[in-house]
Amino acid sequence: MERTARHILKFRWSIIIVVLIITAILGLQLKNIRINSDVISSLPDEDPDAALLKEVATELGGNNMGMIILTAEDIFTPVVLEHIRQISDTVAEIEGIRSVTSLTNIIDIKSGEFGIEVGKLIDEYNMPETPAELAELKERVYSKEMYRGNIISEDGTATLILFTLSEDAQIRAVAERVKEKTEALNLPENIYFAGSPMMVTSISELIATDLVKLIPISFVLISLILFLSFRTFRGVALPVLTAAIAIVWTMGIMALAGYEMSMISNNIPIILLAVGSAYTIHVINRINQERARSTKDVIIKALVYIFIPVLLAALTTMTGFMSFIFGAYLDMIREFGVLTSAGTLFSAILSLIFVPAVISILPPGQKAIEKQKLRNKKSFLSANVLVPLKIFLYVHPKYTLFTWFALILISVGGIFMITRSVNIQDYFRRGNPTRIAEDIMVNKFGGSKPVFVIFEGDLQHPKVLQKMRETQEYMEKNPGISTTQSVADLILEMNTVLGGEAKIPDEKAKIGQLWFLLDGQEYMERFVSPDLDKGIILSKFSLPDNQSKKAFAEYMRRFIAENSTESCKIQITGMPFVDVTMDRSLIRSQFGSLSIAVFFVVLLVGLIMGSLLKGIYATLPIISSIVILFGFMGYTGIPLNIATVLVASVALGIGIDYSIHIMSHFNHIYKKGGDVYRSLRDTLMISGKAIIINVLSVSAGFLVLLFSEMVPLKYFGLLIAISMIFSGLGSLTLLPVILVLVNRKQKFTRTK
Amino acid sequence: MKMFIKSAGFFFACCMFLPGLFAQDAGEILQKTDRVLFSFKDKQANVEMILENRRDKEKIREAVLMQKGTEKRLYRYTKPESQAGIATLSLPGDIMWLYMPAFGRPKKISLLAKSQAFTGTDFSHEDMSVRSYAGDYTPTLLETTGEAYILKLVPKSGKSSYSKLVMQVDKDHYYPHRIEYYDKRGNKEKTATYVFRKTGDYWYAREVTMTDLKKDHATTIIMTDVIFDQGIPDETFTVEKMMPEEE
Repeated sequence: MERTARHILKFRWSIIIVVLIITAILGLQLKNIRINSDVISSLPDEDPDAALLKEVATELGGNNMGMIILTAEDIFTPVVLEHIRQISDTVAEIEGIRSVTSLTNIIDIKSGEFGIEVGKLIDEYNMPETPAELAELKERVYSKEMYRGNIISEDGTATLILFTLSEDAQIRAVAERVKEKTEALNLPENIYFAGSPMMVTSISELIATDLVKLIPISFVLISLILFLSFRTFRGVALPVLTAAIAIVWTMGIMALAGYEMSMISNNIPIILLAVGSAYTIHVINRINQERARSTKDVIIKALVYIFIPVLLAALTTMTGFMSFIFGAYLDMIREFGVLTSAGTLFSAILSLIFVPAVISILPPGQKAIEKQKLRNKKSFLSANVLVPLKIFLYVHPKYTLFTWFALILISVGGIFMITRSVNIQDYFRRGNPTRIAEDIMVNKFGGSKPVFVIFEGDLQHPKVLQKMRETQEYMEKNPGISTTQSVADLILEMNTVLGGEAKIPDEKAKIGQLWFLLDGQEYMERFVSPDLDKGIILSKFSLPDNQSKKAFAEYMRRFIAENSTESCKIQITGMPFVDVTMDRSLIRSQFGSLSIAVFFVVLLVGLIMGSLLKGIYATLPIISSIVILFGFMGYTGIPLNIATVLVASVALGIGIDYSIHIMSHFNHIYKKGGDVYRSLRDTLMISGKAIIINVLSVSAGFLVLLFSEMVPLKYFGLLIAISMIFSGLGSLTLLPVILVLVNRKQKFTRTK
Repeated sequence: MKMFIKSAGFFFACCMFLPGLFAQDAGEILQKTDRVLFSFKDKQANVEMILENRRDKEKIREAVLMQKGTEKRLYRYTKPESQAGIATLSLPGDIMWLYMPAFGRPKKISLLAKSQAFTGTDFSHEDMSVRSYAGDYTPTLLETTGEAYILKLVPKSGKSSYSKLVMQVDKDHYYPHRIEYYDKRGNKEKTATYVFRKTGDYWYAREVTMTDLKKDHATTIIMTDVIFDQGIPDETFTVEKMMPEEE
């Protein structure tokens, strides 16, 4: 170990130069980072629901459907209708838009004495203007299920302008144009945007805002805490610098590897800032301590001691992050795992190689060293926190143990109250336009979660169309479904007009001839494939809770199992189904990644400490704090979602470091022949101090996420901070007490 | 001096009026085009419609067309099989009848929106129902090239879905080579290209391809076995005649 330390000092200039070159190269890659916030694209292809959903999205433009919501006191006025027409025309003009459907251009089939009229609901060149014309239009609109609740709300105060994107469209660019162009019309009505393309775009905007806003705050806050702790420029600059370099390396590799910034990976910089600075804090702290004792070979002595704990801390943290690679459902969480573990490795390497190299070329003056010695002795933390703490722990170990036991017991009660949320509208703060839009969709248009029932077969065959109608009727009986739409509706409607019977024709010939009128209608592209061998029922699911989604999935699966045949294959997919899988995967990936992490952490720590028991002792504080974390989530109602599901494993990975430092320090002194009290005192006074600084800076870094625009990230920050505080407390109280009790007992047995 | 003034005056007058002597008025060109396109008394042809969408999938429809004058038009579809026997009859006054054999008697169809596609093609009802370009549009001559006159046609009716058409008219025979359709915002929306043939006294569009630039979709109409002026009786264009004759 000493040889390695001497090598580091020998090649210090080369190390600094190499680090700077790598940073410059990877830094240049940063401009290539792309943001992608589309949850659908992150769904794994192995999941049949997700794969089918992706297929529908590309083939029928299903998921690429966006909506502009226009709300006004009364939609049926000439002015509002004109504005709807303006929006429809404006959006249709945008490149990448495949079709636009609104009140002013939607298909309509009328019958009367004159015969049949296949045309548009409103003649855009002769818009209704007189009260009589408007009343007639209103009556017509409300007489048809096709319009009511689908394109206009029941109360006549909100209407949709639906648009689909072409297959090769750049979703974000098109969505931004739609927003820009619509807003440029400066219409007096309230305009909102909904649907997958618009939501993905607004999430991307939030990610970008968050990155620009939060990272600097985080840097400033952590610097401030570091300054208050070390009171030297070096104590602030080095941890922040190593963290910044690790961030640049990680994000540079992210760009090089072609990963896109997701709504999970956008917090990588903040995590690395918190984690990355920690290793340097320990290295500097140790060097400071050595400096207080002697003047010779300070850095080498410090490195010899700190090398293993920092490396072990990094390995365990990486284990926490890597557990996502194996346990996660969403691709973006897996990528997050890969990148954060790489970043952690970089941080550790930098703090062990780069930091000593920098310190060795910039040695502090004699005055600074004297100051440091004084500070070590008389610091606020040592005098007011650590000294009383070590006395209390030594004298009353059982009180401490009991307090922890009580806390854990209370928390276990909360665990059973944890809720889960996979609703995308929950990601936005209240008052956010996207959330308002989602609420309007739920309250006035029967939900925003699309459901697609796919029929494969001859869509001109009466049996297939009849089965479609039957499916629709069955679906509408479910409380979560208010309306359904399909090509069968139009065939039925035309048959009513032409054939005089309100049903799907029994003869194939009739259907074939009715197609003559539908061929080429743009509106049809949403419902059938060009070859008429695939058709979909479009619907929306309105109930937000998971139980209803599960019940609906079961309800539909039963029907499909009974009705799907070779000649008429029925499949169903949609967001409620993905939600159910995602929900199930939340629990699975929570348990999966957490147990992988615990297993490997115990193994790693046990291996290095030379005893599995020690591995278990080391994990006790962090496991306790995770139990408290889950209890806190249960009592406060913070749900498990795609971001908070990461907290436990991240907390485990970061929090275990505190225990590792305490254990290694305690063992180091104890083995050297110190007694339990001396070992406890030294451990708390030196490593304890570093841990407190570390907990404060990491928590502060994560608490910055409270200012995030995304609700899951807010919770993520809060929860990590809480688990950091508790795992810090655990390693400063629970772990020392266990060590004191175990070693006393051993000593007792030995003497006996 | 007088001589000079006289000759200068003559020269000036020549400059003023000579182009008028040779160049044609846009209205005149368009009337000639109308005459080429619409001067037959009646016409019968086999029509093939090839619909191509962006995924290069083709749909083929076939029909027999009977036309008398510019306002009476009967299409009787023969392909695809599921649509065989369907007939559409257009009569003066934007009246259209539809006959679908499986549903019995013909029904009158009203066309609310002229911009709507004509039975699934890229031609809108407006494109298909032109009876006279000179009657429906106000022309301006934009340019004269070696082979063609380029005319700008502005619709007279406010109900048109186009803001203008740009038509290239063959200099020798006055049939259109190409028509570009501009939407209300002035963007080019569709393009029609023509291949003309002559049979007897008449030129006819043997092939027209209409490309919808926005939808990336095209329809080609091919006319074969064209017979002009065979004296098709008026009775052919009655609702009763849309149905097959009872045996």
